[in-house]
Amino acid sequence: MTGTQTPPTPVASEGGAPTRAVARAERFSTALIVGAVAIGVIIAVALTPGFLTVDNVRAILRNASIVGIAAVGMTPITLSGNFISLGTQQSAMAASVVFVALVGNGLAPALAIVIVVVALLVVGAIQGAVVAAGLNPVITTLAAGAIIFGVVADATNGQVVSIGDHPVSWGNGSVAGIPVEVLVFALVTVVVGLLVSKTVAGREVTLCGANKETAIASGISYRRVTLWAFMIFSGALAIAGVLAGAGFGQATIQSLNTLTVDALAAILVGGTAIAGGYGSPWRSAAGALLIAVITNVMILNNFSIGGRLAVEGAVVVVVVVLLEFLRRHREVR
Amino acid sequence: MARLVLRRARTYILPLGVLAVTWVVIASTTPSFKGQSSVFSVLEGFPLLGLVALGLAVTIIAGELDLSVGSMAALAGVVAVKSGSTGLVGALAIATLMGVVLGAVQGTVIARLGINSLVLTVGTLILLRGAAYLASSNKPSQLKNFVISDPLLDRYGILSISSIIALSIFVVLGLFLAYTRYGREIYAIGGARDEARAAGVPRFRPLVLTFALSGGCAALAGALASLKGGSAAPQNYDDVLLSGAAAALVGGVSLYGGRGTVLNVALGVGVLSVVAAGLAARGSDASLTQLVTGALLIVVVAVEYVAGRLGQRSRLRHAAAQGAAVSGPMRA
Repeated sequence: MTGTQTPPTPVASEGGAPTRAVARAERFSTALIVGAVAIGVIIAVALTPGFLTVDNVRAILRNASIVGIAAVGMTPITLSGNFISLGTQQSAMAASVVFVALVGNGLAPALAIVIVVVALLVVGAIQGAVVAAGLNPVITTLAAGAIIFGVVADATNGQVVSIGDHPVSWGNGSVAGIPVEVLVFALVTVVVGLLVSKTVAGREVTLCGANKETAIASGISYRRVTLWAFMIFSGALAIAGVLAGAGFGQATIQSLNTLTVDALAAILVGGTAIAGGYGSPWRSAAGALLIAVITNVMILNNFSIGGRLAVEGAVVVVVVVLLEFLRRHREVR
Repeated sequence: MARLVLRRARTYILPLGVLAVTWVVIASTTPSFKGQSSVFSVLEGFPLLGLVALGLAVTIIAGELDLSVGSMAALAGVVAVKSGSTGLVGALAIATLMGVVLGAVQGTVIARLGINSLVLTVGTLILLRGAAYLASSNKPSQLKNFVISDPLLDRYGILSISSIIALSIFVVLGLFLAYTRYGREIYAIGGARDEARAAGVPRFRPLVLTFALSGGCAALAGALASLKGGSAAPQNYDDVLLSGAAAALVGGVSLYGGRGTVLNVALGVGVLSVVAAGLAARGSDASLTQLVTGALLIVVVAVEYVAGRLGQRSRLRHAAAQGAAVSGPMRA
C-alpha cells in the first residue's frame, strides 16, 4: 500500500542493501524513541514521588521483561514480512503451564526447561512451515493459538497448576541486585539483535520483508527465512513462559492473558514497520520499556485499569501515526 | 448463463456441505438438538457471532482486517446498557451509531495514512477496551430499566427480535454490497487495489465505509447481546475476533480479498453455531469450542490455499492481492 505515484521507494532501490536514506531514517526515528523515553522518564520523575526508588525501577524492569522478551522474539517475524502472531499468549502460557507441571512433579528445572524449549520449537516450526507454505500468518497464528489454548485447557481442566513444594530457587532471584528475568530480557535482546543485524540469516529476514520478490530473485529461501523467524519467536516464548512460571510458582490458562496485545504494542511503539523490512529487536525492547514506564507512572498516580488501557492504546495510535507522517515527509523530500 | 450460475454456486457448495455434515453429526449425537429448537438455537448465533462475522467479512473482502471488533462490541454493550433510559430502540441506535462513527474514524486514518489496518486496529483494540472500562467505571454495568429488554427475550417460532434484527442487517448489507456502486467499490479495492484506483475508485470512500460497517456491526452485536443479558462487563467479547473471522472464512469469504458474499458469511455462522450448540449441549466448556473453531479455521484456510494453487486463475488473483503492496515483476 505504498504510494503508487512514487515507484522507487528507498527500501526497494537497486543494489538490495539499505540505502543511506534508510539508514538516516532509522537513526532519526531511533533518536525519536530514545528522546520520547527520556522525556517520559523526566516527566514521570517530576510528577511522581516514589518513581525513582530502587524498588520501583526494579518493578518497572520486571514488568517490561516478559513482554519485552515476547516482543523482541516476535520482531523477526514482523521484519520478515509475516506481519504478527496473534497466538503469542497461548504459546507462552502453554510453556508456563508445562514447565510448572513438570517441576511440580519433581523434575529438575534444567531438564524441564529443555523439554519446554524443544516442545515450543516444534510448535513454532509447525506454524512456521504452514506460513512458509503460503498461508496467511495472522489467521494461522490466530487458529494455532485457539488450538493450543483448547488443548491446554482440556489437559488442565482450567485448574491452576502449581509448582507445589518444588519452588525454583532462581524464580524470584537476582544477580547483583538485578532480577533474573531482567538479565534474561537483556540477554535475549542482545542475542536476537545481533542475530538480526550481524548474521547472514538475519539480514535475509530483513531483506525478505523489505522486498520479497527481490529477495527470492537473489536466491534467498523465503521458506527458510519464515521458518527461522518462527523458531526464534517460539524459543523466546518458551523462555518467557518459563520465567513467568518460575516467578509466580503457578500457571493457568489465563496466565499472561494480555501478552499478545502487549507485545504487539511494544513492537509498534518501537517503530518497527508491520509490513516488514524496517525495524529491529532493539526498538521492540525500547518499546516494551517505554510502555512499562508509562504504565508504572499511571499505577503510582492511581489510574484505573480503564484509564491505563486507554492511555496505552492512545500511545500506540499516536506513535504509529506520527512515525508514518515522518516517514512520508522524508520520502517526499 | 448456466455456466455462470454454476460458477457462482460453486463458492457455496463447500460451506453448504460442511454445514450439512456438522448438522447431521451434531443432531445424531446430541438428543436435545432437534426440531424447531435446533433451528432456533442456530439462528440465535446470528445476533452476536453473525453480526461480528459480517463486519469482519466486509473488511476481509476489502483486503483489510479489523482487530478491534471485540473491544468495540464490549464498549457498545456498556454504552447500550448505560443508555437504557432511552428505551430499547434508543439504546441500540446510540450504541450502533457510536460504532459506525468510531469505525469511520479508523477507516479515515487508515486510508489517509495508507497504513496497514493491523497497525491501527491493534492500537484501537487496546484503546476501545480501555474506553469500555472507563465507560462502565471498571465494573460490570447493570441495566436499570429491565423492562426494555423484555422484547429481546420473546420467541416467535424459530426467530427472536435479536435474530430478526441480525438477519435484516444481513439482507440489507448483502443487497448494498452486491448492487450499489459503493458496495462494488469495496470488492474492487479488495480484489486489486492499484487497478481499482487506476480505474477511478476513490482512495478514501471504500475504506471509510468498510471500517464504518465493521464498527457498526460489532457495536450492534455487542449492544444486542448485552441488553438481552441485562448487563455489560467491560472485559466481554475478547474471543469474537477468532469466531467471527472463522465464521467468515469457513463460509467461503476469500482471505485474499475481493470475493465472498453475505450468504457465505451466513453459512459460516451456521456451521459455527451448530458446533457451539452441539458442544454446549454436551456440557463442554468454551475452551473446547475454541479448539474446534481453531482447527476448523486452519483446515478451511489450507483448503482454500490448496484449491487456489491448483487453479491458475486464482493464482493470478492471489498475486494481484498480495502484489498490491510491493512493485511486483508484473508491473515493472
